[in-house]
Amino acid sequence: MERDYTLFIPEFIAAGGAVLVLAAELIYPKVRKDYLAYFTAAVALAWGISALFYIGNTVGNFQGVIQTDNFTTFFRLLGSGIVFVVALLSAQYMNRRTKTAGEYYGLLLLAGIGMVYMAAARELITAYIALELLSFSLYVLVGYLTKDNLSTEASLKYILLGAFSSAMFLYGMSLVYGITGTTYYDGIGAALADRSGDTDTAAVVGFMLILAGVGFKVSAAPFHMWAPDAYEGAPLPITAFLSTASKAAGFALILRLFTGPLAANADDWKWAIAALAAITMTAGNLIAIQQKNLKRLVAYSSIGQVGYMLVVIAAIGYGDRDTAQNASTGLLLHMVGYVCSTLALFTALTAYYNRTGKDTIAGLRGMAETQPFLATIVTVSLFSFAGLPFFAGFTTKLFMFQGSVTDGLLWLVALAVANSFVSLYYYLMVLRQVYLFDPEPGMSRFSVGPVLWVTGAALTLGVIFIGVYPGPVFEGAERATDPLFGVGVDAVDHAAMDHSH
Amino acid sequence: MNPEYSWLLAAIPAAMFFVIAFAGRYLPRGGDYLGVAATGASFVLFFALLPDFLDVFDAEAHVLAVAGSIEWSTIGDFELRMGVFVDPVTVVMFAVVTTVALMVNIFSIGYMKGEPRYYWFFAVLQLFVASMLMLVMADNLLLLYISWELVGVCSFLLIGFYWEKRSATEAAKKAFITTRVGDVGLLIGILVFWKETNTFNIQEIIHMAEGGQISETYLFVGSICMFLGAMGKSAQVPFHVWLPDAMEGPTPVSALIHAATMVVAGVYLTARMLPVFAVADHMLLIITIVGLTTALLTSAIAFAQTDIKKVLAYSTVGKLGLMFVALGSGSVTAAMFLLMTHAFVKALLFLGSGSVILGTHHNQEMDKLGGIWKKMPITGTTFFVATLALAGLPPLAMFWSEDELFAAAKDEWGLWALALAMLAVFATGIFMVRLFIRTFTGQPRDPHVYEHTRETPAVMTGPLVFLCVLSVLSGLVVFHGVGTALGFPGGISEFVFQHEPHRYEIDWALAIPSVLVALAGVAIGAFVYWGNDLRRSTALANAQPRAYDLIRNKFYFDEAYQYVIDRGVLGFSYLTSWFDRYVVNDTGVNGSAEVTGYAGSVLKLFQTGRLPNYAMAIAVGVIGLALAGLWLRG
Repeated sequence: MERDYTLFIPEFIAAGGAVLVLAAELIYPKVRKDYLAYFTAAVALAWGISALFYIGNTVGNFQGVIQTDNFTTFFRLLGSGIVFVVALLSAQYMNRRTKTAGEYYGLLLLAGIGMVYMAAARELITAYIALELLSFSLYVLVGYLTKDNLSTEASLKYILLGAFSSAMFLYGMSLVYGITGTTYYDGIGAALADRSGDTDTAAVVGFMLILAGVGFKVSAAPFHMWAPDAYEGAPLPITAFLSTASKAAGFALILRLFTGPLAANADDWKWAIAALAAITMTAGNLIAIQQKNLKRLVAYSSIGQVGYMLVVIAAIGYGDRDTAQNASTGLLLHMVGYVCSTLALFTALTAYYNRTGKDTIAGLRGMAETQPFLATIVTVSLFSFAGLPFFAGFTTKLFMFQGSVTDGLLWLVALAVANSFVSLYYYLMVLRQVYLFDPEPGMSRFSVGPVLWVTGAALTLGVIFIGVYPGPVFEGAERATDPLFGVGVDAVDHAAMDHSH
Repeated sequence: MNPEYSWLLAAIPAAMFFVIAFAGRYLPRGGDYLGVAATGASFVLFFALLPDFLDVFDAEAHVLAVAGSIEWSTIGDFELRMGVFVDPVTVVMFAVVTTVALMVNIFSIGYMKGEPRYYWFFAVLQLFVASMLMLVMADNLLLLYISWELVGVCSFLLIGFYWEKRSATEAAKKAFITTRVGDVGLLIGILVFWKETNTFNIQEIIHMAEGGQISETYLFVGSICMFLGAMGKSAQVPFHVWLPDAMEGPTPVSALIHAATMVVAGVYLTARMLPVFAVADHMLLIITIVGLTTALLTSAIAFAQTDIKKVLAYSTVGKLGLMFVALGSGSVTAAMFLLMTHAFVKALLFLGSGSVILGTHHNQEMDKLGGIWKKMPITGTTFFVATLALAGLPPLAMFWSEDELFAAAKDEWGLWALALAMLAVFATGIFMVRLFIRTFTGQPRDPHVYEHTRETPAVMTGPLVFLCVLSVLSGLVVFHGVGTALGFPGGISEFVFQHEPHRYEIDWALAIPSVLVALAGVAIGAFVYWGNDLRRSTALANAQPRAYDLIRNKFYFDEAYQYVIDRGVLGFSYLTSWFDRYVVNDTGVNGSAEVTGYAGSVLKLFQTGRLPNYAMAIAVGVIGLALAGLWLRG
């Protein structure tokens, strides 16, 4: 079949921008680093806008390995949005801390592209390459502050463990390939549906290895241990990127894999995901209570959030097709709310850190006095994480859990609700510092720069909007899950499947 | 006014919340008059709405409720509607909430005068009134849950109003977290019912439950989970611990939120869902037992309290328990009637205690008061009436509602429930009389305090008098003649009911014992404490030191919880994080990295062997999963 390169125009823009950023600094080493940030943000904006042209149910298929459909579009918009915000957050922050920033912004764009192709891939090797594109970019970004030992150390740990888990993922892939004889999702799905019983062992082990690989990416317990270190060591904006884009990408890959090729063998993995979900949310929330460092707290709390999201994947295994789509839609909706809340929180933290150099929980004391606006953003985002009504976290979690409630999973949903209650405790501990204590002596009121002010305000409004009126986002999320469940997709080019055999 | 527009009742205070919160600090007097105007408007609107509602109610043979809703969002093939639902239960709640809220707003102008953040107090008060009204008219569980959380947040903000005081912030946290434990149950219950019925609409759920379309197990699980939410909000044993501590908030707040309205949200929810609970196995018995346990336990605790507001708080918890007994006996009538009369009486008592606190310059310990009736005649007299009303003496308001309760309990459960309920009423008489005598009569305990005591201004005594009238008269709505004179179809039992209306008749076989019980309580209280003399009560306490110790320490509930939280939850959390840190060991690695140079830290990284530990966790995870998977496959 013909090769339709127009499918990749949005990523051409992003990759082109990445090259330009790198080149700009090579040619003019003295270029102002914050200009590079704003340029990156502009590229991300163009990337997102160009992605809008792919909305609709037209499915583009490139050689059967990459599919651009609504699901891909959803993650293009999400990915470009995250890169946009993270670039804005980095402008002032990185300006102070590095002499060269070209690679930083270039890799940021590339990481975003990796995320999109994890969502778009319809073939295992392609998915793996996309995953590594994201991972390799992040390894460098996490350790970008070379003068900072924490940053370097975090990067090193992340690389070694990332390689370890990549190996597992690859091994799992090869087992699946061994059983099915193909790496194309469609082919795998068909072959797994009517495989013979003597491949059971290989199949089970293969699934678990794949699960470990993606579980590492989304930091599900017990594959989570890199996360707190990486979050703590990484530059603040990259921590934001790690806790949003990296997780979103992981779930994009998981959704494609577990609703498609692996769906036929749900009995072999659904219990494992339910178990991982239970362990992840409980461990994440309980350990978060003991944290003193704010970044580590966010790391564990986001591990807890991953636990909630895994409930959906378990529901895909336990429920019927309708349940699966409702749950997946809930997951995408929750993802948007979670990304908005997280980015809002990090906008506030970055603005605060730029000014005060503090990023511990105790460092936030008296924030309500010194910067009431940032205190409001922190409050809104933490309330959203805790799932209080009127904020995104409540509504999105409600739809997500409601979509996931099936007979077999009621216990897990109940555990998730109970866990989100526990989480309120440590969020309130942070807010206690913000509101109930006087600022340290010598701290006076300060103002926030216009870029971060507008970013923070917009994200906060987004959190409240999704919380109060989730309809439009839900609509988008539902259209995005259509292709996963073959709703309204008649135009799929099945030639690709034949090609793979 | 068409009852469909009853959302306006909530919309006005909600709008005023934003006005006062943002502009209040720039307005003269913090915009307190705006608060009074907003709750006043709701109060007036309620009376505009009532005749229309009664017209519809009459026309539709007493069964119709008025409902109106808008589409909030359509999600897939699932349409989420948000709307209002007004039936007699809602009307009673409207009456209680708007009346008490207006009185409390007026009272607060005097009570809160000169406090810091004066405007903020009035702002949150408006938000509370709006959320509470929304809660009682919500036609679906989702809106109800949202309002439920909002009143919780308002309660949190108002208990912690004096946030400079550590005890106040601790109490606020305790209240919020304790009720949230129940809320977890409520949310799970809502999800369970959603799963079974595919709707959040309360009437549809009731319809399906009564039609037997919900499986028995889920019906029971959902009901018990929802009831947990009600127990948390209404401070039923074992969740009762937060309410006495909540007295750290300003006293008008205690009157409005922690006596008359928010804490009865649990009773309201149970009344609303009673048709569902009634078809679930054993649910009514559970509700009755929880109610009776609470009523008896907290009445006992109230004996040994010396803080006026704490005594009132425990008595509130006890009366809430009696409301649950009424619901458990299947009588929505008795529960709502009791709720209404109690709201007026208890609001009066709390505002009265607020008046005492202000009049004596912030004294609320009985040990320092005494003999102030002469100095505060209006407060003292209204307090006296309210004391007798709460004790259940006829013809004051609560006697009639408790009579309804006794009848319902006896019909449903027989003599044992009746006897226990009467015991609780009897105890109320004793400790309320103790409270009154020790505060208002006898010799002043602290001459210094006594000297500076004076009556509070009219803006505070006015609401006291108004509520006092209601405390005397509101019980009379039980009679058919009084009801029809007011425009209702009849007495309250012909207006609020679950299955069939019935006309109230005095049952002398029940009324005489209940009068005697109430009289006995008051008489014994008067005998023991007469003249503010503590010799008899001290002798009593010394005669049973262990019992007294148990009561004085509130049956050690707080200590037990602290122990469980410390050893249980936090201990487990500590253990988990220790495990995580043993493998991760943040401080060790990071600390050393900062001290030694870069190269050293990298080397050290490999030597400490921590990374292998991380990887080991991953490997153990994978192997564990794979083994489990193979084992499951057999």
